[in-house]
Formats: sequence, C-alpha cells, structure tokens
Amino acid sequence: MISIHTITKPSTFQFHPKRPSRKPPKTLAPIHALLQYNRKPQLAGDTPRVVVITSGKGGVGKTTTTANIGLSLARLGFSAVAIDADVGLRNLDLLLGLENRVNYTVVEVLNGDCRLDQALVRDKRWSNFELLCISKPRSKLPLGFGGKALIWLVDALKNREEGPPDFILIDCPAGIDAGFITAITPANEAVLVTTPDITSLRDADRVTGLLECDGIRDIKMIVNRVRTDMIKGEDMMSVLDVQEMLGLPLLGVIPEDTEVIRSTNRGYPLVLNKPPALAGLAFEQAAWRLVEQDSMKAVMVEEEPKKRGFFSFFGG
Amino acid sequence: MASIAAVPVRSPSFLPLCFLFLIWNFSHSLTKLRNFRNGLQFWPELGLDCTCKYSNGRVTYRKFVVKAMESDVDSGLRNDAVVIKSSEKDYAERQQKLHQNIVAKLHESVGSLPVFAFPIGKLSGMNFTIGLCIVATMLVVVVKGYAAKGSSDRRPGSVADLVRRGQLRSDRRGISTPLKYEDPFNNPMVKVSKSNSTVEMCGKVYRLAPVTLTDELQTVHQKRRSRAYQWKRPTVFLKEGDPIPSDVDPDTVRWIPANHPFATTASDIDEGLAQTNVYQKHGVPFRIQAEHEALQRKLEALQNDQKLGKLVIDPASARDFERPLKSHMKSENQVEHNISTPKSGSSASPSDHPSGNKPLPEELQNP
Repeated sequence: MISIHTITKPSTFQFHPKRPSRKPPKTLAPIHALLQYNRKPQLAGDTPRVVVITSGKGGVGKTTTTANIGLSLARLGFSAVAIDADVGLRNLDLLLGLENRVNYTVVEVLNGDCRLDQALVRDKRWSNFELLCISKPRSKLPLGFGGKALIWLVDALKNREEGPPDFILIDCPAGIDAGFITAITPANEAVLVTTPDITSLRDADRVTGLLECDGIRDIKMIVNRVRTDMIKGEDMMSVLDVQEMLGLPLLGVIPEDTEVIRSTNRGYPLVLNKPPALAGLAFEQAAWRLVEQDSMKAVMVEEEPKKRGFFSFFGG
Repeated sequence: MASIAAVPVRSPSFLPLCFLFLIWNFSHSLTKLRNFRNGLQFWPELGLDCTCKYSNGRVTYRKFVVKAMESDVDSGLRNDAVVIKSSEKDYAERQQKLHQNIVAKLHESVGSLPVFAFPIGKLSGMNFTIGLCIVATMLVVVVKGYAAKGSSDRRPGSVADLVRRGQLRSDRRGISTPLKYEDPFNNPMVKVSKSNSTVEMCGKVYRLAPVTLTDELQTVHQKRRSRAYQWKRPTVFLKEGDPIPSDVDPDTVRWIPANHPFATTASDIDEGLAQTNVYQKHGVPFRIQAEHEALQRKLEALQNDQKLGKLVIDPASARDFERPLKSHMKSENQVEHNISTPKSGSSASPSDHPSGNKPLPEELQNP
C-alpha cells in the first residue's frame, strides 16, 4: 500500500461572515492529488515498469499520450523507453520528430542485422528517452512469436549494461487484433485512453475486459479531448460520467487543445512547449501520477469566468 | 404635483459625488445658520426643507427633503415676502442681511467643495499626469506582449533551429528545462485557490469536483466485465483454411487471412537464433557477421583458384615468349664483354643493352 504524502495540510474551510450565513459552513476534503509541481515524484513499484497504452478505438490519442508522457517522464528525471508496437502503421517516431533517425527496428534485431542498442533511437533533447520501433512499414512480422519477441526485448532492456530503464511504454495499435495481443504481452500495467463519447467508451470497456482476462489488473484511465464548455452545456459527457460508466481510476484528464496538432506537425511534443499548453500541463500531471501510482481525486468540472480586478485591463 | 424625495446622505452610492459634496456643504452651511438662529430653518426661496437631528451637539444624521417647485410657487413666495415686509422694518433689514449672508456663505461653501477645490491650472496638470501614467502603462503592456510574441517566434537560422533539428542538445541550452522542485507552488501557470475548490490553469478558472468512484464500485465493474468478456490469449496462429491440430484449444487459435498485408504465420526465423540476437550486447550482429564470413570465404576461394591458375603454363602461348637465336647469341657476347670490363666501362647504358642494340647493317660492319 503506497502512502501518499499530502502536500497541504487538511484544511477545513470555515466562514467568518459579517452577517449570519444562510448556508451551513462547508468542509472540503483536501485535493492533494490534483496538482503536483512542488516536488519530484517518488517512483513506486518495481523497475522497469512496463506500461501499455491502449484504447481499442483508434484516433483517441494513444500515440500522443505515449509521446507526451514519455517525455514528461524524461523531464522528471526518469529513464524511459517508448516502443511503437504498431507493426504496420508506425507513428510514434513522427510525433517525436525522430522519423529520420529510425534506421533499425525490432525486425532487424530479430534477423541479426543489428544489435538492440543500435535499434534504440536516443532523443537528443532528452538523453534519457529512447524510441524503439517494431518494424518498418510493408514488412511482415511472424505473428507466432510477436509476443515472445516483446518479452525478450523487455528482458534484454532489463539486463543492458547502462541499467534497466525506469519505464517501458508500449504504444498499442488500435483494435483487439494480433497487434493488441502482441503489445499487451509483456505489460504489467495499462493506461486506457478514451474520449468522452459513447463509441470510444464501448470499445474501452471491451479492451478493459480483455486486459483483465489477460491478467493486467492495474488499469488507469486517461480521458482525452475534453471540452469543458460542451460539458457545461450538457452536450458532452462529463469526466465523472465516463468514470461512472467504466469504473476505472483516473490518471489524467486532457482538455481539447489545438496545440496538439501543431506539435504533431512540428514533431515537438507539447509538454516541451514554453509557455506550456493546457494539455501539456495535464500530461505532466498524468505522468506525475503514473510515477507515484496515484490517481486523480478531483476533476476540473467547468470553467468559471475569471473575476477580473481593476488591473486586469493591463493584462494582470 | 410636488413630489418629495428623501435623499439620505448616509447612502452616497445613490448620488454622484459632486452632488453629494454640494449637499453636505449645504447642510454644513445650514448648520451654521441654525446655530446662529437657534432653530430649524426654512428657506422657501430655495424650496428646500432641512430637518436636522442633533446628537450631543453634533449632526450625525441629516436628511434632506427636496421639494419639487410648482408652477404657482412664485405666488407663495410673494405672499411670504409680503408677510415679511408687513413686519417691522428692522426685522426686514435683518432678514435681508441674513439672506445676503446666506448667499455669501453658499458661495463660500460651493467654493470650498473639494471637487471644485482644485485650481483650474492644477486640474489640467493632474489630468495630464494621470493620462501620462495610463499611456505609459499601456505602452508597457503592449511592449510586453510584443516581446512575448517575438520570443515565441523562431528566427530562421538561429541556434534554436539547430536544437530543433536535433544537432544540439536542448537540455543544456535551457530550452527544455527540468521542472523545479526547490520552489514549491512556484508554477505561475497553475494556481489553486485556498479552499481547494477552484484551480486556475493557463488563465482559465475551473471548478473542482471530487471523484466519486469507490473501491466497491470498481469491484462491481470488474465483475461485470469478467462476466461479459470471456477471452483466452491465442497461442496458435493459423491461416484461414488450415486444420486445427487435435491438441489445441480452439479458443486459443487465431485465424489470419492469407492476404493480410503485414501478418504472416510463416516462421522463417529460428526462435533460438532470434532470441540470441535480441540478447546480444557486443560485437557484430549475427547476420552481418555471417555475411562477412561468407564473403571472406568466397574471396579466399577465389584467391586460391587464381593461384592455381598461375602455376600452369600453356605451351601454345609459350612460343610467343621465344626470341630469335642470332640476336640471342650476340646479346650473350655483349653481356660477356661487359662482364670482363666491369670498371672501365660505365654502367651499361641502354644503348649497350643487348636487347636494345640493333645489329649494324652488314655494309657498315664490313667496310
């Protein structure tokens, strides 16, 4: 059982009005798992932590989540290896801006054309982050030992000379086909990425069931592409509704952000943006919770109009 | 009809400030007059009714009653004036003096209003100062915004491009900096309210709601999924149309279409060899080594074949290397002559070289 150190002391909020209050005083539970920027997260669990990022439905943001959480982990000081387990449709290298540096893949390693360390692409922005692609497009991988190959890879990464990485993130392909089965084989934990729409939720529920059948019990959820304005107008399910349907603890809530598309075009994950984007902050928080095996205790429900002071006119 | 509106001085939000000051000074002047007359005053000329309450000799609450003038008010005023004139002359004179004093005092009070207390010259200077401050602040805001925008734009050909392309490490250049842990609560983009009920991120304020998922609910969902989804990991991959082996559980068979673009059931790779390749840490990879060795062997074989070929002389081609006898004998004599006189002669010159000597024609040899 992991003990969570509260950042702030539990405080009871009490009214001291000039006039007698009509409502009884409220005592809010401390939301200590909401925002963590005041200390380095403490790594929980056994290293390397093998995490598969899956969703079932395609296009919900698995690859984006893998890239941003991976680089967030690197920024937090942890070594991470991201494996693009999509055999036919490789995308993770594009999001990371490393597409011109991928010369060898796991297929070449299996064939003996290169060693594993030669197939790992080290990010020059953050040297403790590496990328490994399963195969190049238009190459066939025998399905018979796809899962075995990943197990060997993870084992080889554990026993490499510079030490095992802290995290191995596996970007799972969409669907529940052989690629999905291959990707989840070596995983101990799973991050389920979903969007607040019914089609994605149905697929996410199915995938969760399959993961649990395969023995993966530590499954957390990231709700992506959340629009608080639509939630407020009741045109979109709220994050709490999603959680009620799936029954999974929340790792993060990522708001809809146009910066995601720009970062994809640039090959520059948005967690590295300065100033940070809203979605980038959310990814950082999700990475923080992943490290500590924590989950969200509160969600951002709606956007309040900001109370503007006298000096707000000047941009304060 | 005359309408009376009570204007409480105690609630200034209902009145403009300048009007408030005017009324306050009226009351002040009226208080002075009251003290002079030791009684409540009534100024029908002005149409004002002033009732003041005293508290320990100080006015704590004043209430003005503003009476709207009627069209026939002048007649009322005239009647009052007639009443005054009908009294003693001294009293009339005193009243006139009093009125004059009142008017003078009114002028004084108006002139002493703080709103109008600024001299005209100073007023324009103050306005100028205020305007200057506002303009300066706006300029600062604009310049700040422009600077922020300019820093976000990447100048082409700068060092930032090198970092962007991956030629330089950005973690040493401060472009991607690690998070600061020494400064708690120092992230300017994230602000949590003291009550933990709202959070401000990137300039937007969000209300927070606690998560309602409990462990019991989570268990309920897990049980629901275990009932709904029965799945076994496939361990056997077969092409469509292949027979299922007898000892294989049909639930663990995965069927692969024959024309699948990137999935194949053919296992051309030796698993043991593949595993060895994955675990290799040093040296040349297996295939490269194997190819290199094969090439090396081929080269050696070729070299060996060439060597054997050189030892065998073809007799048909040996005749091409034969020389005529005559020339051959003369050349031998010249070589012997050269050998007998090694030091007198210089080194054999190319003209003395037997092969280079052309035999003299017989006419020259025999004069």
